[in-house]
Order: sequence, then structure tokens, then C-alpha cells
Amino acid sequence: MLLPLLTAVTLFLAPACAVFSDEAWNIDYHFALLGAPKEETSFFHRPNPSSKASLIYTLSEEHALGAVNPRDGSLVWRQILASGGDSHNTSFLRAGEGQDVVISGIGSEVAAWSAADGRLVWNVNADGPLEDVEILELSDGKETVGAKDAVALSGGEHPMVQRIDGASGAVKWQYSIDGSDAPYQLSASSTEVYAILLHKTILDYVKLRVVALDPVTGQKTDEYMLSSENELATADNVISVGANSASPIIAWTDAAHTTLKVNVVGTKSISSFSIERHDGNAIERVKLHAPYHINSLSHFLVHYETATSHWAEVYHIDLKNSKVEKAYSLPRVAGRGAFSTSTADANVYFTRVTRDELSTVSSASHGILGRWSLSSFGVASGVGEQVEPVHAVSEVSVKGDTVSAIRTTVLLSTGDWVLLRDGKGIWNRPEMLASTVAVTFAMPADVVALAQQLEVEAHGNPVAAYIHRVQRHVVDLQKLPSFLVSMPKKIVQGFLGTSADHAAGSDIFGFRQIIACATRSGRLVALDAGHPDRTLWNRDVADLKPGQSWRPSLSSTKDGVIQVSSAAGTGINYNATDGQQLAGDLPIIPDEPDLSTSRAVRYTMRGNSLEATYDWSPSWTFTPIHGERILNLVPRPVNDPVASIGKVLRDRRVLYKYLDSNIALLATAHDASSKANFYVLNTISGAIIYSNAHPNIDLTAPVPTIMSENWFAYSFTSEASDATTKGHQLVIGEVFESLIPDNRGAMGASSNYSTLQTATDPPFTLTQTYQIPEPISQLAVTRTRQGITSRQLLAVLPASNAIVGIPYGIVDPRRPVNRDPTKDEQAEGLMRYAPVLDFDPKWYLNHQREVVGIKNVVTAPALIESTSLVFAYGLDVFGTRLSPSFSFDILGRDFNKFQMLATVAALAVATFVVAPLVMRKQVDQRWRFL
Amino acid sequence: MLVLKSLTVLAGTSLASAANLTVSIPSSPPLLPNPASLAPSTHAVLIGPPGVQYEAPIRRDNTFTFPDLAEASYLLTVHSRDYFFPPLRVDVTKAADGTQQETVQAWQTFRGNEWSNKGPFYGSGNGELRTQIQPSSQKNFYQDRGGFNIIDFVKSPMILMALVSVAFIFGMPYIMDNMDPEMKEEFDDMQKKGPLSGSSGAAAQLQNFDIAGWLAGKGSSTEQGAGDIGKKR
Repeated sequence: MLLPLLTAVTLFLAPACAVFSDEAWNIDYHFALLGAPKEETSFFHRPNPSSKASLIYTLSEEHALGAVNPRDGSLVWRQILASGGDSHNTSFLRAGEGQDVVISGIGSEVAAWSAADGRLVWNVNADGPLEDVEILELSDGKETVGAKDAVALSGGEHPMVQRIDGASGAVKWQYSIDGSDAPYQLSASSTEVYAILLHKTILDYVKLRVVALDPVTGQKTDEYMLSSENELATADNVISVGANSASPIIAWTDAAHTTLKVNVVGTKSISSFSIERHDGNAIERVKLHAPYHINSLSHFLVHYETATSHWAEVYHIDLKNSKVEKAYSLPRVAGRGAFSTSTADANVYFTRVTRDELSTVSSASHGILGRWSLSSFGVASGVGEQVEPVHAVSEVSVKGDTVSAIRTTVLLSTGDWVLLRDGKGIWNRPEMLASTVAVTFAMPADVVALAQQLEVEAHGNPVAAYIHRVQRHVVDLQKLPSFLVSMPKKIVQGFLGTSADHAAGSDIFGFRQIIACATRSGRLVALDAGHPDRTLWNRDVADLKPGQSWRPSLSSTKDGVIQVSSAAGTGINYNATDGQQLAGDLPIIPDEPDLSTSRAVRYTMRGNSLEATYDWSPSWTFTPIHGERILNLVPRPVNDPVASIGKVLRDRRVLYKYLDSNIALLATAHDASSKANFYVLNTISGAIIYSNAHPNIDLTAPVPTIMSENWFAYSFTSEASDATTKGHQLVIGEVFESLIPDNRGAMGASSNYSTLQTATDPPFTLTQTYQIPEPISQLAVTRTRQGITSRQLLAVLPASNAIVGIPYGIVDPRRPVNRDPTKDEQAEGLMRYAPVLDFDPKWYLNHQREVVGIKNVVTAPALIESTSLVFAYGLDVFGTRLSPSFSFDILGRDFNKFQMLATVAALAVATFVVAPLVMRKQVDQRWRFL
Repeated sequence: MLVLKSLTVLAGTSLASAANLTVSIPSSPPLLPNPASLAPSTHAVLIGPPGVQYEAPIRRDNTFTFPDLAEASYLLTVHSRDYFFPPLRVDVTKAADGTQQETVQAWQTFRGNEWSNKGPFYGSGNGELRTQIQPSSQKNFYQDRGGFNIIDFVKSPMILMALVSVAFIFGMPYIMDNMDPEMKEEFDDMQKKGPLSGSSGAAAQLQNFDIAGWLAGKGSSTEQGAGDIGKKR
């Protein structure tokens, strides 16, 4: 009787690890991010030339190419471009007017992508790293109808210019650049293609060499050197080389930013303008904004920036004599500003975004066509921080002399990418989260406040504690009216919804934890796991200079406090709820505990060996065999509660788990023989508890490892021989004190236990290998408060862009091999071992979403035992709640309150109806037999 | 884009004779009638010997193209958001006739089986292979809850049995009343002849015992009790 019942229970539990259709999209959240967009690779473009709707295209700093819908900020499509691993961090994105493709250039690859759906149209590999990619906006009758050709300039050993057919990706011609000059940029006018090279003079100055090519044949038509005198010290001073316009220009300044020199490409004359100083600060940056269309007016804007203010000047080019003239200037405004260029027919418009204003001017005159005041950008920022625009892209439609509609996307200094429509914020994308490097969960400070108050009462003297308590209750009483007002609503909600739904209001289940993310740019961003759609706060904590990097580690040492540590500085604490820096209010726990008193074992990687020191003296050293290197070391998590020390079998006997808080899984690789070794170490004594070697491993593929409770898991990609199988494998090992039930092995007899002494009998390990369909890049495990809930193995699948939650029962190494499970084993939920483990799509935590570029998964226990919070970051940010053993302590969405009440009502009605009948029957019986 | 993870392959790719592989996804109703509906993240991965891995995104014409493959035995996997595709084994070998061109062959392969265990042949080509791959199944991400459904509820055998017994208990008296007198008499006779009823029936015999009168009364009352339970449903 019990057996079928248990089977039924296991069958019932098995789907609990799946994503339920009513929970998907509700309890999980996902930001499909691109990373900070780059100014020169972001633009509005119509994917379908016949329709008016345009999308925003960008190639971000994370090398993600994507299209964003300007209406709601949702991602239309996205491709992650591989940069080829080189440090040459330039990327290009171009779109020809009226084209249904966008052309990207990154590393050495030029690729065309379908603008509407993001599919590859063609790709071409240049021999060297790309220096520039442009689209030829000319009609010479030779190109295929519809598709415009691309021109690519590549560097490397054999620098060359290539013209690539826009339809097929075939190279039409290529021109090899002679000499040792470094290729710099491409420029195309309606009649010629210009390659601009940097020529180093003897005095280490830079001169600009221009090579003019015939766009049809690729033959050199002209070549000359611009006499830049000795002004150009480095290539950084070249501000801009205009690309496709009626008259492309080259502009540069001297190192001190005192004069601006402009040359119209194709001519040798250089116009010189002195740069006015508007305030005491030195000019830090000069940017040039010019239209990108060949038939637009040849006007351009020069944007000057100092530390405290910015201004701009607009210049006109006279096409007849190639003369450059200053037309007007835009006034100086405090703070940073962003300018964007947009075109409508031949007209050019410049849109300016400052801290508090958005305005549009025509390039022809300085009259303002539209002005909108911006109260705020609607993004979270640090206290007292001024949110400033970094760069902007606009789409303007002008009717008569006024702007009828304007859409501007602005990248802000907080890292948010916002869209303003007529000066109103429409959406913002938290692109700063795409560069998250460290994450921690923290309890909100308001939850902690009550705990602190109670603590005060517990430790004060009784009278003071009593007064404190009365005061606290009086304060609480002030909330009574609002509580009473909200009562009816709460009751209705409670009746219609489920308990898990309104948990977000009052966080009794611990779902509303704060997730603090440290980004590569030195910011700390806090999200609310209960309301992830808004950023709680976002502040600059590292003050990094451009190009500087930091490696922060985040922790929540105390509830309500987030501690940021990095290699440079010791821990700084922040309030988890509002991001305020906590100065001396809370005692800061010393960053490194005093080792002499805490008797901890320290580990250092010395050369290629792992050395453990105890009491400042070497304890043990782990040196891999010659030729091996240590891949990674994963210890058991510090906070890893285990509810039961054994596994209770069906016949009530117990298999004792080998539970030691000081065990770690170490992976080493032998590159010469492509072999990997895995060791389970006792980190106090250095004893090897288990080791295994796998030959024929692809060591360039990721080898993720995880250790939790008394089990470990790792995954690798194996190479095939005829007798073995090729593909990816997942190995699970579980360590027991003894494999005989009710036997504690060597530990059974001894009454004392020392972590320092290695037991004579090592514990027993069961391992099982499963063939999995795709590689795993990262492993994690769910964590719950008490460890009663069974654990779920979380694996990041980079090939499917997914995170899969594998129930432990599926990969249990105790699954019987080569035989059917006995009835006892069946009752425990053990199935016959099968070497192939397919990832059921129902295990995908992300279900239909695609989580791209996940680098790490962190888990945290909720306040209720059944639930674990999961947060994954990398490029995308994804979070959800998991109940590996079903939601046994909370009424989930499957609990239908209405159905329950209906059942009670139906029973009540039935009782009233049946009661008289029963009464009559009983009376009848009495008459019959007595 | 093509990810090249190893420099060792670079030498191989520069050879003009290197092989090309084109895998296309045809329209395969009813599973995937329109391959253009595949997500742009659909991509194919070709895993060769350690360190050699090529990746190709889906093209506008629903194909994956791998140019310049070095001689090796590869595992081809197609990853898509919504569909599963069977894994293929792709071998690029020197041509038997000693020409410059290499031979490209493809078979289906089976996970968890030795590498020499090949499945259906997907074709071979000299220097270039064009083959087709069809999705094996659609991914179903969502687990539906066993929600309350009144039809399912009524269909369950327990409820059906209970309903029938309730119908008998309530319906019998009406049927008896509505029967024509002849039928009723016949029915009464039959009941009398039954083993439990009538003066010679077992029930009557039991009732003749002294104590049994009480016992039998209880016995019949339990019968009635069962009926009551039925009614309560």
C-alpha cells in the first residue's frame, strides 16, 4: 500500500522542478541587454525601406549587435559578435540609406545582417584587423540593384582596401596599401574613396597621407600628404574623418586644443580656426558631428567640452571652392552635453541634450526649432549626483519651422540608456548591468530595523526596555489609519490572488531581497528582487579613471548592509535600501580576520601549487604532477546548511553522508596529453578524499565545477575515439561515510574527531557520468534556509542561451546500473541509470527567454524554507525563484481559493439537502425493526 | 561569424583545397512549416579535435555555412530556441583518388554511443557538402498544472460509481412506483425468491434467531448507512 503511495508522491514531485506555465513570466525577470551603446555605432534606421517605422541599431561595447524598438525599448534581435579575442577594440556598424541590411565590422570580419530579423546575410574575413568599414553611397551602375556595396580598410601585415559586394559579400576589388603607414580611416565622397593613413615623421609627429581610389576599379587616382606641420603629436588629436558626405572632411587639433584645422578631403587646403576659451578650464575633448548622407548639406558641428561646461560651433563648407566657414555657435552650458545629427532630405539638424534641456537647431541658422525642458531623466542615481548625458542619437521630423516630433536616445552617465520623445522619458534600459562583475544579495534595511529595535529591548535594562517598547508601539500606532484603509483591499486581494502574489507588499517570505551589482565602470546598482523593473539606487563607488579596471567583491556581512571590497581598498559599507554610505554608524568588521586567534587555514597559489598555511606555518602543499596546471578550486560554500546527516533508505536504514565543511574540489589539467584530473581535498589536512582522471578532454572548453553538501559535480567536453563517445559530459559524485547502511565506517567506532588528522579509511564515493547534449559553462546550486529542501543543480548552457535546473534525483549517482531498480529503490525515486541525460525544456529556468552571456549564477535562501532566489548575470540579467521540492510551505498559484470556498459551500448545501432525507430514513428504520 | 578558437587551424584554413559544409533547414511540416520563423539566435556548432570549434549563425536563406574545414572528425550540433535538432557527425578526409579536394561526409550520430556508431547517412561531397537537417521535436517549456476541471472530475471512476449509486438510491423508488402493476408483481416475486429475501431467505433465517433479531437489524442498518454515504455525495 505504501509503495504505490510513495511512487505516486515521487511522480507528483518530479514535475515540481519544472517551470509552470502560470509562474513563467511572473516570478522571473529578465533584462535582455546589449551593453553600453557606442556613439559612432548607434543610429536610427528603417529595417524595411518601404515602411516608415524605424528601429535603433547599436553595436555596444560588449560587442553585442542589436536592434531596439524605439516604442518600448524592447529588444527586436541581437547577435553577440566575437571580437576574435584580439585587443584591437574597434568595431563598426553602418547602414546604407534605404537598405534592409546593417553591416558590422569587428576584429577582421565584415558581416551583413538582415535589419529586420538579425539573420546573417554574408560575411567576409579580411586578412588583418579592420580599421574602418564604410558603405559606398554612390551609383555607378555596376552594383547590384538594391544592395549597396561596402568598403573595408584593414591593417595588419598587408593593409588593404576592399570593396565588398553588398548582395553576395564577394570582394569586387582590393587595393594593397604600400609603405609602412598605419591605416587609419576610410572616407567616401560621391566620386572617390579615400584611404587615410597615418605617416610617422622622423620627429615622431604624425602626418596624414590620403590615397584616393577609383570606386569602380580600385585603382589609385591620387595620393598626397597633408601638411599638418608639427601639430599632430598622436592620432588621438585627429577628431574626425567624415565618412559619407558630399564633402568628407578631416579635422584635427593640436595637443593643447588651441586651433582647429579642417581639410576637405580631396583638396590640399587646410582651414585653420582658433578655439576660443569660454571658461578657465582647459578643453578636454573636441568632437565633430557631421551628417552621414551623401545628399545632405555639408555642414558640421564641433563640440567642445571642458570639465565643467560645453559649447559648440557650426561650420559650413562651400562646395564650390571647398572653403570652410564658421556659421554660428551654440552658447556655453554648464555640465556635459550631447549633440546628435539628424537629416531630413537635404536638411541637417543638430539636437543638443544638456542636463536639463533638449533643443534642436537647423544647421543653416541658429534659430531654435524646438525646445523641451527635462526635469530629470527618470533614472535612479546616487545622492547628490548630477545625471549627465554622455551621447545621444536623434530622429527628427520637422514641419515648417518647428520640430513636430523628436525621438532621442541618450546614454546617461549612470549607464542607463533612455529614450526621450518630445522631451518626455519613454523607456530606459539599464545597460550598465551588462557589465556586472560582482553580485550579492542583501536583506532590506527596513526589515533589519525591527530586528535592531528588538535587540535594543533585549539588552537594555527592563525599565528602559519597557519605555522603548511603548514608544515603538506608539510609533506603530501612527500607521494604524493607513493600515485600516488598506484592509479591504488586502482582503479582496487575499481572496482573489494567492499568498505568493501579495508577498511583495509585505515581505514575509524574504522574496524582496536587494540585489547589489557592481559594474565594471565602478558603479554599484541595487535591484529589488520583488520589483526588478526599477532600479533602487545606482551610485558611483569606485571613481575609476577611463581605462582603469577594478575587481570588486561584494558581500552582505550583516543584514541591510552591503560591503564593497576591492584589491585597492578595504570594505566600505552601504545601506542596502537607499545606498547611503555608512560611515561610523555600524562597526565595520575587519576585512581580514586575525588569523592568530581565529585559527584559520589560509591558501595561496604559489607558482603552480596550492599551499595551505595554518597558524602561519605551512600545513600542506598540493603540487600537481609535472606539466599540469590548476584549473580551479571550488570549496564547499561557507553557508551550506544540511538538514539530515544521512540518507534514509526505504527500509528505514540510513546511509551516512560524509559531511565535512572543509572539503573542496580541485581540477587540474595536463595540456600535453589533454587530460584532466579532479580531486576532492580535505582543506585542513590536505588529504585527498577522491580523485579521478579523464583522458581526451578538450581543455579549451570550459570545465565548470561545483561542490555542495556531500556531493560534487563537474562537466567537460570529451574528444572521441572510435570506441568512446564525443561530446559533453556531466559527472556527479556523492561521498558517503560508508556504503553499508547504518554503518558509519571509520567514524563509527571513534568518539573523537579531528579535522587535522586524516582518517585511515577514506570515505566512499559514488560517481556517475552522464552524456549531455551541450556544454555547460557554469554550475551553481540552489540554497535554502535550513537545507531541508532538496537541492537543484543549476547549469548555464551557453549554446542554448539558457540556465537549466537539474533536479538532484535525476543525476543521483545511486541510480542502479545495468538492472532495474528494486522496489525499495523505486520508492526512493531512483530510476535505472541511463548514460544519456537530455535536458528537458521544462527544466529551463528561463523557458522561452534567451539569456545570453551569463558569466555567473548566484543563489540565496528566501525566508521560507522551500524557496531559493536565483540571480544570473553576465551580459543579460536574469532572476527567478525556485522551489526544488515544490512549494510546501506557501500557497502557490496552484492553490485556488475560489475552488476551496466553492467546495465548502457545495458541501454545506449538500448537508442541508441530505439532512432531512437521512432523518426520515432513520425514523423509518426505527418503525421497521422496533 | 565564425569563431576560430585555435591558431593551429589557421594554417589549414589558408589552403584553397579546404572543404566547405553547408547545412540547410528545409521546410518540414507539421513541425516547422516555415524555417524563416526560427529565432535569429539559431546557430550551429561544429566541434572538432580539442581547440577546434566553429560556430555559424543562421543565414537569411535558412542555412549554416562552414567554410575552410580542416581534416578532422566533427560533431555538428544545431542549437535553436524552440526546436531540437539531431546531432550529426561530419568527417572531412583526404579524397581517396588523391586529388586536391577533400571528401566531406555526414551521418547522424547518437549521444552516449561510441563514435563509430553511425546513423543514417546525410550525404558526401568532394570539397563541398550541402545537406539538410530537420528538427526532431519542438521544445515545450511549460508544465501545466493539474488544474480543476469539472469534466475530468466527473469522468473519474470513483465519482462515476458514486453517481450511479446515488442515482439508484434516489431513482429506485420512482422506478418502482412507475412500474405497471404486473411488472411490479413479477419483481416482488423475484425478490422473494432471492436468497436474502422472503421467509426462506437467509436474511429471514437470520432474523429467526433470538439475538439475531437485533444483529440483523444492525446488519440492514449498515446497509442503509452505506446508502446514506452515497447520498451525501
